[in-house]
Amino acid sequence: MTPARPVPRVVAAALRPPDPHCYGHCSEPVRPHPVTMRLPGSLAVYACPGGVVSVSVYAEWAARDPSTLVLRELRRRASPARTVLRRDLRLATRHGPELGPDPERFLAERGGEIPVRVVYWRRYPVRRGAVVHRLFACFRHGRGTVRFYVAPDSDPPARCPACRRSSRSRVTSTGRSARARS
Amino acid sequence: MPRRPRPADARPARVSIVLADWCPHCVPLSDVRARRLARQLRVPYRRLDIERRAEVRVADRIVRAHGDWAPDYLIPQVFLEWTDGRVDHLFTGFSEQVARTRQGWTDLFRSAWLRRLRAGGPR
Repeated sequence: MTPARPVPRVVAAALRPPDPHCYGHCSEPVRPHPVTMRLPGSLAVYACPGGVVSVSVYAEWAARDPSTLVLRELRRRASPARTVLRRDLRLATRHGPELGPDPERFLAERGGEIPVRVVYWRRYPVRRGAVVHRLFACFRHGRGTVRFYVAPDSDPPARCPACRRSSRSRVTSTGRSARARS
Repeated sequence: MPRRPRPADARPARVSIVLADWCPHCVPLSDVRARRLARQLRVPYRRLDIERRAEVRVADRIVRAHGDWAPDYLIPQVFLEWTDGRVDHLFTGFSEQVARTRQGWTDLFRSAWLRRLRAGGPR
């Protein structure tokens, strides 16, 4: 069986959403924050300037379904681990023809048998009484790292339970590196 | 998308879509385009609505066996069935944005894969 590999650059470019915005929270642009994992593919956490996560997207070039491995990796980064539920992970297979001519040609020239697997993690907000609880991400635990937590959507923004810092400054501080890499 | 070799006489037999009426990626966007794909391939079109009890069982079965299965799987998912009994997963909606799903369909209709398939060439 062919081992899983990183997504080729030409395919990764086609997978990137063109103009993502924060849905249902602030409508501000969301930026992909790359996260280093023990998996061959790449994880990008799309978070708005307020630290609210729209979606986390893992992609690899593989015949297998990586959902179980992604679940484990995400749980290692969540406080508490049960923040990440299996039912919130959704698989999508991208074959090439739906990605445009260059990715299609690239994958076809390499046999076309191995697709790209994408796993989306989307945790929807939960209303408790008058307060909406959302998924936040803290990127201030080192380059390529993230801590996920659920907190009330409040002003001032919720604090990361691990480092006790506000989500707003956290995201802004790493936004430059995320922009440079994307 | 179909990549494994298949018998030379195998032909497309049916396009099936798994969808829900409330899903903006599905209706009308993918419903219309999958129907057009079936017309271009001159095969029947099957619509499996996950909100209909009789259809969701078939939908779950085809997604679990051939598609992008998850406990709460993504829709729409589109499949191409062949005369030799094989089923190929063709397309899953893009969770990011409806516009991205629309672009995916546009690219698929312009793809070299579909041109070859319509011409009866290698699949």
